[in-house]
Amino acid sequence: MKRISAAVLLTVFTVLLLTGCYDGREVDDLAYVAAIGLDKGVTNKLKLTLVFAVPSATGGSSENGGGSGEKTSSILTLETPSIMAGLSLANNVVSRQVSIAHAKVIVFSSELAREGISNYINAFNRLRELKPTINMAVARGSAEEYLKSIKPSMESSVTKYFELIYRTYKYTGFTANTSYFKFYKYAKSTFIQPVATLAGITKNESSADFATESSIVRRNSGFPLEGEFKAGEIPRAGDIKADIMGLAVFSGDRMVGELDGEDTAYYLMLRGEFFQSTITHVDPINKDNVVLLLIKQSRNPVHRVELSGGKPVISSKISLEGDIQTIQSEINYESPELLAILEKSVEDFIRKGMEELLQKTAEEYNTDIIGYGAVAKRKFATWQQWLDFDWHKRYPMAEFHVEVDLKIRRPGLLIRTMPIISSKKGSV
Amino acid sequence: MKAKITFGIWEAIMMLLNTICVPLLLGFPRLMIETGGTAGWIIPIYITVLAVLFFTVIQRLYRNFEGKDIIDIAEIALGRIGRIVTGILLMLYIVFLVTITLREFTEDMKVIALINSPISFVMMFFIAAMVFGCYFGIEPLVRFSSVIVPIIALGFLFIVFGVAGNYDINHLFPILGNGPRAIFIDGFFLVSYFSPLVLLYLIAPFVRTHKIMKITGYTTILLSSIFFTLGTLCYLLVYPYPISIENFLPIYQLARVMEYGRFFQRIESVFVLIWAASAMSMLSIGFYFVVYIFRKTFELDYRRPMIWSFIIIIFTLSLFPPNLMTVLELDKMYYSKVTWIISLCYPILILLIARLRSRNPEKEAKTR
Repeated sequence: MKRISAAVLLTVFTVLLLTGCYDGREVDDLAYVAAIGLDKGVTNKLKLTLVFAVPSATGGSSENGGGSGEKTSSILTLETPSIMAGLSLANNVVSRQVSIAHAKVIVFSSELAREGISNYINAFNRLRELKPTINMAVARGSAEEYLKSIKPSMESSVTKYFELIYRTYKYTGFTANTSYFKFYKYAKSTFIQPVATLAGITKNESSADFATESSIVRRNSGFPLEGEFKAGEIPRAGDIKADIMGLAVFSGDRMVGELDGEDTAYYLMLRGEFFQSTITHVDPINKDNVVLLLIKQSRNPVHRVELSGGKPVISSKISLEGDIQTIQSEINYESPELLAILEKSVEDFIRKGMEELLQKTAEEYNTDIIGYGAVAKRKFATWQQWLDFDWHKRYPMAEFHVEVDLKIRRPGLLIRTMPIISSKKGSV
Repeated sequence: MKAKITFGIWEAIMMLLNTICVPLLLGFPRLMIETGGTAGWIIPIYITVLAVLFFTVIQRLYRNFEGKDIIDIAEIALGRIGRIVTGILLMLYIVFLVTITLREFTEDMKVIALINSPISFVMMFFIAAMVFGCYFGIEPLVRFSSVIVPIIALGFLFIVFGVAGNYDINHLFPILGNGPRAIFIDGFFLVSYFSPLVLLYLIAPFVRTHKIMKITGYTTILLSSIFFTLGTLCYLLVYPYPISIENFLPIYQLARVMEYGRFFQRIESVFVLIWAASAMSMLSIGFYFVVYIFRKTFELDYRRPMIWSFIIIIFTLSLFPPNLMTVLELDKMYYSKVTWIISLCYPILILLIARLRSRNPEKEAKTR
């Protein structure tokens, strides 16, 4: 009887404690922030933009299979001395309690990023609610304008939009996984420096606004390749104004430069984080045409760092494999002899691109975003010896050697390309 | 003394394992890395070797005292005074351990989950577990440990291996970290993390034979070492030095970065579950031994009437430190650096004296 009484007492006691009377928060009483934008303030230190997910729109669906047609997000911009003060102020504007537990991206304006964002990244690290895997982005221009321009047309939830768009690097290779967790640890690291996704807004209202002057041609292709753009520069028009493309390069907490999509793909390959991407390559035999390859990283990159007289000599070996997707010239690259020519040509193209990227990070940006320092510090026995070596000061003097090994494995569904026959000219 | 209650190797190991490994869910990995830098993961291996050495000496000396706990042996060694001094010393050590752990867990719970709840309210959860545990006695406590500790261990392994995608082997270099001096001299005192092993000398009558005690001790040290090393190593592989010394709850920070696709997110809730279970189990056992030692030292007949007095003392003491930072400092300064003297050296001293006096039957008879 005593035991039963004790068990009943224990159950009642536990039930009372589990009610969570102090910390209970109804999901319905919270306003979930999907994205946080940070710009320099006009009347105060900071301009904070919060994109709220509208739950009623998020939950609904129309007969057409898309969203319910309601607004999926609500935006609030306010000026504040700090992020936490801003979130506190926001609670006086929105009826529900502001929660950043499900925020997907933090966007800094490029102006703020160039001045340094240590105050903000340190503040975020203390916040229990904020998930460390949240994405970090730098808007080319204003973070507020970037966030305002986002109108998800395919998603019923703005949260899902952010979640999906910041994962596109897995199949484009034009952005990277730039989580806050990575950014924070790299910003405070002695052997690697951080990057953030580059975000932007297109200026084109319609295709009539496309201008050749704004196109960048880095190579001898005569036309811009798909990776040769940064966010906001892609020649495009339509109802989607915002995009992401490329990376913002940081030295510590300060943004020091930008990488376009192509450089970003090389960055990913050198980091061993490249999943797959389609690359356009100028046909090595018929220069007027292109060959399209689906490239994947076949092995982790192998990096070596030699410290000759204090100067880092860095070598990297990148192993890739590819599938042929298109051969415009109809040249039979599927044959072993021609395949070797194509492989060599693509290898040279990627190698040059990588070397240019590495030179730029060393000479122009003075920042080791690849993390060669991690390999260099293996040569030191103690932490103090490594600190004394001062990797970040040595990296700008580095000499780079890149080796790319590409194996084209599959030709798609065709094993040879027959020419198209025209009645006017015969075979083309 | 023959105890009526007995339990097996498994129960004893699980109870000791949880009690020793609780700091792993608190600040253990950070303290290792603070001391050793990038070589922080070597320290748990090093202190395991030290713990094995200490335990080997102790278990060899213990051979002649099968079925006796350390308080009984203190009486053989130094008479009534020896029993009382040893009892008080061990009780103070466990009170300190329980008080610090209780406050630390409560504060951490406030930081992680129950941010608006008053600290005394949060503490009541743990206090309730301690009171119930002590009320029902050692047997239910060890049986509960034998069930819950494997679940806690699985949860822990789920976290440390779940973040494998974030591992970077380069974080372990330079291989000697803060240098051999930091690892082997400063690291020596960290053997204190094995100090809850003293509970093994208190449960000696319950585990009956010296052989069981020996197996229990070595297995516990080995398993604790695996968890300590694994926890520190995985944390260091994810968080490079020096930012790894920023986080005050390393394993929780590991759980926070775990993410599998869009569906499995916020897996840190697993941590809160195993964390609370581990804390409640450890605190209940710790509290039981406080009361048990007091009863035994002063040869009292009953244990239960003392529960309320002791729980009020521990509750009050745990609220003494003004803030979490003070608690962490106390942990770092005393628990992790000094307690080895009480739990590893003092038993050797007592056992040596007892052994010497046992050889002289006249003296032993006088003592008895």
